[in-house]
Amino acid sequence: MEFSEHIKTANVEDVVLRQPLHPPLRGTLCITGHHLLFSDREEDEGRSSGQVLLLLRNIDAVEKSVENLLGYSGLFSSPGHAERTSGSSGTITIKCKDLRVLQLDIPGMEQCLNIARSIETLSCLDCVSEMFPFFYRPSELNLQDQWGLSSPEEHYRQATELHNRWRLSSVNRDYSVCPTYPRAVVVPREISDDMLVKASRFRQGGRFPVLCYVHRKNGMVIVRSAQPLTGANRKRCKEDETLLQAVIGGSDKGYVIDTRSAQQAQQARMTGGGFESKSCYSQWKRLHRHMERGKALQESLIKLVEACGDESSNMDRWLSKLENSKWLSHVQTALSTAGLLAECVERDGRSVLVHGSEGTESTLLVSTLAQLIMDPGCRTLEGFLALLEREWVQAGHPFQQRCAHSAFSHARLQHESPVFLLLLDCAWQLWRQFPLALGFSEALLLRLADEAYASSYGTFLCNSEQERSVAGVREKTHCLFQALLRSRHRDSYCNPLYERTELAIWPSVHPQSLQLWRGFFLRWTPQTRLLEEAQEEIRNMIVEWEKLVMS
Amino acid sequence: MASPVSMPNSNALDAHIPTTPRDIKDMELLSDVCLLAGEDRIIDKDIIYICPFNGAVKGKVLITNYRLYFKSSDPDVSVTLDVPLGAISRVEKMGGASSRGENSYGLDITCKDMRNLRFALKQEGHSRRDIFEILFRYAFPLSHGMQLFAYLTQEKHEENGWSVYKPIEEFRRQGLPNNKWRITFINKGYDLCDTYPTVLAVPYKSKEEDLKRVAAFRSRARIPVLSWIHRENQAVIVRCSQPLVGMSGKRNKDDERYLDLIREANDTPKLTIYDARPNVNAVANKATGGGYEGDEYQNAELIFLDIQNIHVMRESLKKLKDIVYPNVEDSHWLSSLESTHWLEHIKLVLSGAIQVADKVTSGNSVVVHCSDGWDRTAQLTSLAMLMLDSHYRTLRGFQVLIEKEWISFGHKFASRIGHGDKNHADQDRSPIFVQFIDCVWQMTKQFPTAFEFNERLLLTILDHLYSCRFGTFLYNCESARDQHEVRLKTVSLWSLVNSKIDMYLNPFYTPESGRVLYPVASMRHLELWVTYYIRWNPRIRQQQQSPVEQRYKELLALRDEYLKKLEELQLSDSPSSHLANSSTPNTSSSTASTPPQQYTRLHTPF
Repeated sequence: MEFSEHIKTANVEDVVLRQPLHPPLRGTLCITGHHLLFSDREEDEGRSSGQVLLLLRNIDAVEKSVENLLGYSGLFSSPGHAERTSGSSGTITIKCKDLRVLQLDIPGMEQCLNIARSIETLSCLDCVSEMFPFFYRPSELNLQDQWGLSSPEEHYRQATELHNRWRLSSVNRDYSVCPTYPRAVVVPREISDDMLVKASRFRQGGRFPVLCYVHRKNGMVIVRSAQPLTGANRKRCKEDETLLQAVIGGSDKGYVIDTRSAQQAQQARMTGGGFESKSCYSQWKRLHRHMERGKALQESLIKLVEACGDESSNMDRWLSKLENSKWLSHVQTALSTAGLLAECVERDGRSVLVHGSEGTESTLLVSTLAQLIMDPGCRTLEGFLALLEREWVQAGHPFQQRCAHSAFSHARLQHESPVFLLLLDCAWQLWRQFPLALGFSEALLLRLADEAYASSYGTFLCNSEQERSVAGVREKTHCLFQALLRSRHRDSYCNPLYERTELAIWPSVHPQSLQLWRGFFLRWTPQTRLLEEAQEEIRNMIVEWEKLVMS
Repeated sequence: MASPVSMPNSNALDAHIPTTPRDIKDMELLSDVCLLAGEDRIIDKDIIYICPFNGAVKGKVLITNYRLYFKSSDPDVSVTLDVPLGAISRVEKMGGASSRGENSYGLDITCKDMRNLRFALKQEGHSRRDIFEILFRYAFPLSHGMQLFAYLTQEKHEENGWSVYKPIEEFRRQGLPNNKWRITFINKGYDLCDTYPTVLAVPYKSKEEDLKRVAAFRSRARIPVLSWIHRENQAVIVRCSQPLVGMSGKRNKDDERYLDLIREANDTPKLTIYDARPNVNAVANKATGGGYEGDEYQNAELIFLDIQNIHVMRESLKKLKDIVYPNVEDSHWLSSLESTHWLEHIKLVLSGAIQVADKVTSGNSVVVHCSDGWDRTAQLTSLAMLMLDSHYRTLRGFQVLIEKEWISFGHKFASRIGHGDKNHADQDRSPIFVQFIDCVWQMTKQFPTAFEFNERLLLTILDHLYSCRFGTFLYNCESARDQHEVRLKTVSLWSLVNSKIDMYLNPFYTPESGRVLYPVASMRHLELWVTYYIRWNPRIRQQQQSPVEQRYKELLALRDEYLKKLEELQLSDSPSSHLANSSTPNTSSSTASTPPQQYTRLHTPF
C-alpha cells in the first residue's frame, strides 16, 4: 500500500483556511496518507487554531471550484483572493463527518485539483489494514495493553446470577455458526451446541437467540436474534422453539418485540424471513413496533443536517424543516420501543426476545436503550462503554458499512445508516431528561459520534468480531474504550451531577419532551461552543469544591 | 396508578400557616391545606374534577378568599389542585339542569396560567349555584367592590421586599448623577407624567421647562429619560413613547433639541432611535396622532425592530395554549408550534434587545420607544440591560430590574393581567411580561453560569404575577400604587423570595462583572419553555424535580462550605488581605467586582 501514489502534491504554501469559530488562517497545507495538516504561518504565537490536523477518514465530501483569475474571477471571488498574483487558484470545500465544514483557498489550479483528488481517494480507502488505526502509535499507549473492557467470557463469569439456568457456549468459536456473533455467547443451559447449530440455520445470518441482559430484580432476561426463516410455507424449527421455551423456563409467557410492523413481518415471509407465529410459539406474545432503518434513517439524517446548515433562512420555517426531517420522530420511536421493552421486563415481569430482520440495527438500538433505562450498572461511564462494547461491537453491528459516509457524501448510498448515531442521540435525550442519573457526559457522546465515523482507534473498525480477528485489530490497533477511560480527559467524560439511582429511568417520549441534539447537530456554532464551555466550567467548579471541602 | 396532578413547583405557591379545620370530615380530606395568615375558608363541597389526564375524579373542593383547593377522595387517584383565585380569568357554567350525560353539569374555569379546570356537580337542587357565585365574587373581587387578597393577607417575612429597589440608590450604582446627567424630581406629584416614576434621570443640560415642552410632544407625556448608562463609554439607554407627529407631520424643536442633548452627552456623531414596532404600524400610528422621528431629527437614525403589538402576542399565546392544553399536539408538534409564532416573537424581542445592547457596547447612545413605551419598550430596555449589566443577573439585581423597568415605568400590569377583574375578553390583556420572562429563561438556558437565580424564581414570579397575593404586580403605575398605598398595605413578592433565597439560587453562578451576554436569537437555538407552558401535563414532566432540586441544594451547600474554607485559608495565608481574587467561581461571599459597582449582599443560608 503506497499512499504516495495518491499524493501528487504533498505540500502547498500560502493556503487560506476558513473554518467555523475561527478567523481565516494563512499557512501551509500538507497531505499525508491519513491526514490533512494545516500549519499557520505564525506558529510561534502558540495559538491553538494555528494548526489543524484532520483525519482524512473524517472527510465526507470534497467540493472544488477552480478559477482562472484572468478569466472569470468574479464568480468565485472571496476575500483574500485579490492579494494573490498567481494566475489561477481554487477553493476546496471539505465537509466532515463530524459536520464541520472547512474551506481551503489554494493557489494554483493544478495543485488544487491534486489536493482534492488525494483527499477524495484517501478519505475512503476500503481496505481495513490501510486505515489509520493500524498506523497510530501514540507514545502513551502500548499495543500490549488490555484490548477491550470485557469479553463475553468475563461478562458471563461475573454475572453469577445467570449460572443456574444459562451457560456460555463456544459453539461459534470459529465463527462458523454465526459469522457476526462473537466466539462465545450465553444460551439456556439445557440447550446443547448441536441444537444451537440447528437453531442458527433457522435464523437469518445464523443469529440464533442469545442472552443480552438479565434483570437482577426479577431474573427476567432480554434475548435477541435475527428473524426466523419461516418463509412462505411456514417452516418450523423444533430446536428454535425449544430454545425459546428454555428462555422463559417455568414462566408461562414471554414477549417478542418485533421492530417491524406486522405487515412488514408478513411481507418478510415472501423473501424467506418471517416471525414467530402464535401456533408454533404459543407461549410468546408478539408486539410489533415499526422502526425505520437503513436508507430511511440515512435520508432523515441528510435532511436534518441540510436544515441545520441552511443559513439563508434563519427563521423561515425552521421548525417545519426539523419536523420534515423526521429525525426526532425516529428518536421518539426508538425510545418508546425501548420503553416498551423495559416495561415488559421491569413492570410486567416477563422475558423478552427482540429482533427485526437482521438483528444488527434496531434490535441493538432497542436492547441497549432498554438496559440504560433499567440497569443502573449501565449508566456509569465504564458501564456505558462496556454496554456499547457488548451490544454493538461484539454483537456485530456493521460499523464499517453503516458509518462509511455521513450526511454530506455525494457517493451513492450503499449500506450507510446512522443507527449508532441515533442511539447516541437517544442516550443524550435520556441524559437531558435525567440530569443526575447518567454517569457520563455529553462530551462522551460527542466523542463516540466522532469516533464511530472516523477514528484513530480500532474499536469501530470492521463489521464483526470475525472480521476484526482476521484483520488483527486487537493486535495492531489501540482500543478506544480503554483509551477513553485512561485518558487525562476522563473527567470531562463524566457527569459531575451524577448520583446513582437504582430506579428505572422512564423517558418521556412526547415530542414536547424531545429536543434536537444541538451539541451535535449545531456543534460548530458559537452558541453551542459557549454552552460546551459552560458545561466544562460547571464540572471544574464541582471538582474544585469537592477537592477543597474533602481535603 | 395515576400520577398526582399537583403542580411540580407547587412550592412556589405554598403557604406555611396551618389551619384548624372546621370539622372532622374536612380534616380527613382537606387537612393538608395550609392556609395563609389572613386567608379564610368560604365554602367547601363534594365535587367531581374532570381531570384531562385521569378522567373524572371525585373529591372535595375548598374555596377560600385566596385559593381554590381540590383534593381527590379516591385513595387510588391522588389529585390535588391548588390554584390561587387570581389565576382565574373566567368562570362559566357548563350544562344545565336538564343536560344529559355523565358529569355534564358543572363549572368550567379558564385560567391565566395555561390551564382550564372543569368540575362536575350533582344536577339536583341547583348544587352549583352557591359555589359558582362565590367563585365568581372571590376570583374577581374588583368587579364586586371587594378588596384584592394582597390587602387581606397577614403573612410576615423576615425580609422587606419593598426596600429592594430605591431609585436614587440604583442611579448611584450606575454612577449617576454625573456631569452629563442629572436627577430631576419634576414628576414628584406625577404632574409631568402620571405613568412615570417620581425620580427621573435626564440630560444635565436640559431645563425643567424643556422637559415640560418635550412632554407635550410625547404620547402620554412619557418623555425620553435615562434607563441605563454604560460605565466606561457613557453611552445610555433612554426610553420614551412615540412622538406626536400626526398626519400633518408636526415638529417640535424642543423634542429635537432634547434628543440631540442625549446624543451630545457622550459625544458621538449619531443617536440611534429604536422603534420597536414594525414600520407599517408606526406609519399607521400617525393617523391617531402618533408617529416616529423623521429626518428633522438630525444626527439621529431610526431603526424599526418589527415587534408585533399586544394583540398579536395575546393571540399567539392563545394558539400555543390550544396545542398544549389539555392535550398536547403530538402528530405534528413542531409545525403546530411554528404556526403559533410564539418562538418567532421571542426571537424578534430578543434580537431587538441584542441590537440595543450591541449599539450601547460600541459606545452609541440609544433611544427606545414603541407607541406608549410601556410594553415592547420595557421588554427591550430590560433585556438589553440584562445583557449589558451583570448586576441585573444577580437575584436582587433582577428584582431591581423588574421594579425599575417594568413596575416603576408603568407597564400596565393591572390592564395586561386583569387582576381581580371579570372582563376576561378585555382587549387590553396581553402576556407581554410573560414573554419577557420567557426571553430571560432563554438567556439562562444559553448561559447556565451567568445568572445567580434559577428557573424556580422565574416560575415563582409568573405564578405571583397572577396570584394577587403580593402587591408587587398590582396596578398600572406608581401614581396608582401610591394612591392605593400598596407599599404600606401589601406584602412584596420579594419579601417571600428574599426570605428563603437558597430556593432560588443557581449553584453554578459565576459572576463576571464586565461580561456582556449576547444570546443567540436564532430559531435554531430557541426552545419552547416546556417546564412552564406544559407543566400541568403529568406526562410531559421529566425526571422528578425533587431529586434534582435536592442535588442542587447539596451543591449550594457544598459551594458555601468551599467558600468558607477558602476564606479561612486565605485569612491564614495573609491575615491582612481581604478575599483574594481567586479564579474560582465564587458568588455568595464575593462582594461584587469593581468597587463602584459594588453591591453588598449578605448571603447567609436561612
